[in-house]
Amino acid sequence: MAKLTLKFENAVLHEVAVGTKEVSIGRSPDNGLVIDNPAVSHYHARVFNEDGRLMLEDFGSLNGTFVNGQRVKMVSLKPGDSVAIGKHTILVSDSREATEPFWKGGAPKPAAPKINETVMLDTKERREFLQKVAAVGESAQPAPARVKVATLVVRKGNTDKSEYTLSDKLTVIGKSPMATVKLKGWFAPKAAAQINRREDNSYYIGAADKVPTVNGAPAVHPTKLAAGDVIQVAGVELEVVYRD
Amino acid sequence: MEIEFGARSDVGQARGNNEDCFRTAPEMNLFVLSDGMGGQSSGEVASRLTAETVVAKCRETARYDGISDAGARLADAIRAANTAVRREARVNSGQSGMGATVVAVMVSGERASIAHVGDSRAYRLRNGELEQLTRDHSFVAEQVRNGLMSEAEAAQSNLQNVLMRAVGVDDEIQVEVSEELFADGDTLLLCSDGLTKELTDARIAEVLGEIDEPQEAAERLVELANEAGGSDNITVIVLRQEPRLAGAFGRIGRWFKGS
Repeated sequence: MAKLTLKFENAVLHEVAVGTKEVSIGRSPDNGLVIDNPAVSHYHARVFNEDGRLMLEDFGSLNGTFVNGQRVKMVSLKPGDSVAIGKHTILVSDSREATEPFWKGGAPKPAAPKINETVMLDTKERREFLQKVAAVGESAQPAPARVKVATLVVRKGNTDKSEYTLSDKLTVIGKSPMATVKLKGWFAPKAAAQINRREDNSYYIGAADKVPTVNGAPAVHPTKLAAGDVIQVAGVELEVVYRD
Repeated sequence: MEIEFGARSDVGQARGNNEDCFRTAPEMNLFVLSDGMGGQSSGEVASRLTAETVVAKCRETARYDGISDAGARLADAIRAANTAVRREARVNSGQSGMGATVVAVMVSGERASIAHVGDSRAYRLRNGELEQLTRDHSFVAEQVRNGLMSEAEAAQSNLQNVLMRAVGVDDEIQVEVSEELFADGDTLLLCSDGLTKELTDARIAEVLGEIDEPQEAAERLVELANEAGGSDNITVIVLRQEPRLAGAFGRIGRWFKGS
């Protein structure tokens, strides 16, 4: 069985085996191999077995998929191939020597819960637990050097200011008194959309009275924002920027 | 604007005791839900102590209202609950190792401040769509978030019940606080995992969409979770933002919005 190893520079981020089920690759969290980078499409590519051959298909992604340096649409893969997506690399190998991640095997010691019984990990157990995870692959959650706060720059539309710093946990776009990005005009909705800053300082935009678009795609579900993203909602156009 | 609410806690079909607990303090627009764990009956002690401490602490800080925001007050109250649970466990040897999850919401106008620790959740129903507002502090949920596990792997994992944060575990506790828009016609749901283990998001959304009266909706959700197996204690709090144009006008307004 083939194995895919996701690497960023020299760090191994994740390993996944390709069995009878295909492995989808992309930025969306429901992919088999998630690459959380704005250069990667939500559903970027997939790897699957067909007639005993390992195949890779690019889903027409914006920034492309490269195998051994060549941009590809659909190719067969062999052990030793290197697949480049954005700045990430996926190495193809034979998984016979691969070790299963520990959570798929027997339960580790701190966590052999009776069925349905919730257990809690204290600080020490948690540290040991995360170290085991790190041994399998990831350098658990690389901490950002410092907190960066995003700014919304108004590119079009009728608002009370030309830019807004997203320092609050909640930023409402609308006519409501609680709105930060204040819309003007008679027919402006009270709360057109909202942006949440999460605990990890990532930003998500979601629909309220209107469904906003991010780079032209409707954000029906909360959508993560990245620098350079362009939001359109209720007649205004806002760009996400990070300032030093 | 007024908040309508309803709440219900039930032992379920498989457990001998109910370790879930909720407290409401409508005068502060404060609603708290906690799911306890620990040997003997200490889970019950932990969840009750947590919910009651959060309410008591918020009451105490209510007179300083305006100095610190609701999110900070909730986080402070949960830290106080953590201290209370740890003190209780130290004093009472039978209760050592007890802990609890907590999710608390304080509403001010159209703003809902939500604080949580563990895997009890807050959801918002808006235009028929149910959205989970809290992120579980469980091992599998964090693995999925970090891209180390797929949703499918998480669903099959035997580590689903491992919490990375809980009230009563350490002297230090990291409380996650978020601010959410709670607009006209939105419904907020707080629940313990006994509900979400049994019912899909789609089913929950359907029930909340069909039943206008929050207390009735809360009872119906518990009833359905019991019918689906009731493998754990089930607790729900349903909050509804009463539209400014109440009654018939509100209904027409909602009808125009298509929900």
